[in-house]
Amino acid sequence: MAAAVSAVSVFSPVPAQAARPSVHGFSEFAYGVKVSDDTTKRDNFNLLEERLQLKSNYAFDGEGYWARRGGTLNFKGDFTVDEYFSGRTDFELRELNFSWTPASWMDAKFGRQTLTWGTGDYLFVNDLFPKDYQSFFTGRDDEYLKKPSDAFRISIYPAAANIDFIMAKFTPNTTADGDRVSFFDSLQGGIAGTNSDRQLVEPPLQLSNNEYALRVYRGLGSHELALYFFSGFNKSPDSYKDEAARQLFYRRLDAYGASLRGPFFGGIGNAEFGCYNSRQDSDGNNRLIENSMIKFLSGYEKDMGDDLKVGFQYLYEQRLDYDNYTDNLLAGDFIFDESRHLLTQRLMKLYKNQTVTVSLFNFYSPTDKDGYARPSISYDLSDQWKLALGANLPWGEDDLTEFGQMKKNKNVFFRARYSF
Amino acid sequence: MKKRFLGGIIFSFLFAAAVQGYAQELSVDQIVEKANRAAYYAGKDGLADVRMTITDAQGRVRSRQFKIMRLTIATGGEQKFYVYFNEPADVAQMTYMVWKNVGRDDDRWLYLPALDLVKRIAAGDKRSSFVGSHFVYEDVSGRSIHDDTHELTQATDTYYKLKNIPNDPKGVEFSYYYIWIDKANFMPKKAEYYNSKDQLIRVIEAVEVKDIQGYPTVIQSVTKDLERGGETVMEFDNIRYDIGLTEDIFTERYLRQAPAQWIK
Repeated sequence: MAAAVSAVSVFSPVPAQAARPSVHGFSEFAYGVKVSDDTTKRDNFNLLEERLQLKSNYAFDGEGYWARRGGTLNFKGDFTVDEYFSGRTDFELRELNFSWTPASWMDAKFGRQTLTWGTGDYLFVNDLFPKDYQSFFTGRDDEYLKKPSDAFRISIYPAAANIDFIMAKFTPNTTADGDRVSFFDSLQGGIAGTNSDRQLVEPPLQLSNNEYALRVYRGLGSHELALYFFSGFNKSPDSYKDEAARQLFYRRLDAYGASLRGPFFGGIGNAEFGCYNSRQDSDGNNRLIENSMIKFLSGYEKDMGDDLKVGFQYLYEQRLDYDNYTDNLLAGDFIFDESRHLLTQRLMKLYKNQTVTVSLFNFYSPTDKDGYARPSISYDLSDQWKLALGANLPWGEDDLTEFGQMKKNKNVFFRARYSF
Repeated sequence: MKKRFLGGIIFSFLFAAAVQGYAQELSVDQIVEKANRAAYYAGKDGLADVRMTITDAQGRVRSRQFKIMRLTIATGGEQKFYVYFNEPADVAQMTYMVWKNVGRDDDRWLYLPALDLVKRIAAGDKRSSFVGSHFVYEDVSGRSIHDDTHELTQATDTYYKLKNIPNDPKGVEFSYYYIWIDKANFMPKKAEYYNSKDQLIRVIEAVEVKDIQGYPTVIQSVTKDLERGGETVMEFDNIRYDIGLTEDIFTERYLRQAPAQWIK
């Protein structure tokens, strides 16, 4: 059967295009209606903003050194108008970095960049890079759960294993501060909003306060094995510098761990272990500084067919030197449990040629008696327009557990995005 | 050794062995084997720009543009695929990698640049849609030739017509399918999928086949969903074979950072 010869040749030579930076991005409107009362700045909503994200990159062209080394300049920035703070305008630089390949066996990236590794789904054991939990709990896109770092990343690829080495400036997590998101503030003795008056003291900007992270990984057939090391700070302020002055700080943290991920019973299984050494309280005797901890995570995800995916995870956390911790508590101190079990479940189903996504993610801790449900539905109206409707429903019996303290932040959110 | 087959007229663009023209007295297995190689294993490696135009039952049009690279590890067996998305904007710079295995599930990875996240994708259902199009994963990576029982129902001067019945009817949406194979080059030209009521539910057709570097190559293919309506047209451009891709491209390193030499 002879192929029909088309009149117009599709093989007319196309001249190589010069590397001209192109601009992409999106414009988004987001509205999160609050469905529970607390004492944050506003009663009716905790998310109302317009956002314009622009991104571009420039790849060096020609015969020069940077062109030969794949030198690329990457930019991504978000302009926002935040109606939560009465129309405050802001700009967040999410990426401004230069990446290149200094040698055939090495890549480097210098500047502001997002960093992620590890095997968890919304759960992080060895990924100790900065997160934005305010975004997570108020219904911004998943992209905003990760906060960028100012870092220098070197990746080397010898035959036996791959190595990522990162040096970064300290960047704290964005956690609940009472203005937008209420939380358990022990200084207020319960769930606090704008009445929270604690001060967060960041480590001063100096060389000795740089953070270091290392990952060594390799494939074992279809499986991936990784070892991790981290030396820096705990990025959420969970320890007290000066109780009387209401000062909390970011304690020093060293962590090491390992993970394994790969095919497992027709799906993907993962296991990850992490050991956190709280360097300023390594024996656990200081009641003001969080103890060392171990974490173990295992997960399983399976494609059930017909565009239905299910996933389950189990996380176990244990405070070390717990007796030392309880022995040193004072009367009136809040007591945190020694261990915590956390289960998660993800259900995701796509409809209509994958333009409709219905998703339910659940966190549930039988030991903390709390949880967090994240139902959502999104619809790709076209290649440009995307609508999302969802809810953030944290709950809990107690006020001081991870999700229990968030229970007054329940919201229902809506987002409309135009991508270009 | 297990070998894969059809559905995948679509990616056959890259893949077609230079096949001797006159094949007489071939057994069904030989035809299937030759067609599998013609459709999936042309050249040691290859690269192409792909444009997908997806039209749904209501006539709404969406498009996907990506670059695809393929490396054959073992002819008729393992292969590695790398996909770099250019459009639409919300998936631009996303990368996707498949290690097509033999005798076990494929390995799949997806990289989301906004999160710097390398996701492992459960291989699972090969009959689910590929990037929202009317093509399914199995059209891309190939259906194992051992998943069906093949029967030669017709042989004309120009083509073979085969009937293929799935050995395991569970997990596939069709009861059987016919496939037309060009006698001249063993390229699958068309496939028709039927349900248990003998209704035609799906068609894939190689609309245009060209000779590229000596390999018959699909330049345009279309699949139609006759059950729910809608179709996807896939067009290939800038096709190059035997460019010297190496296995290290198909690793997490290049998933995170697209190989500049091939992806501009």
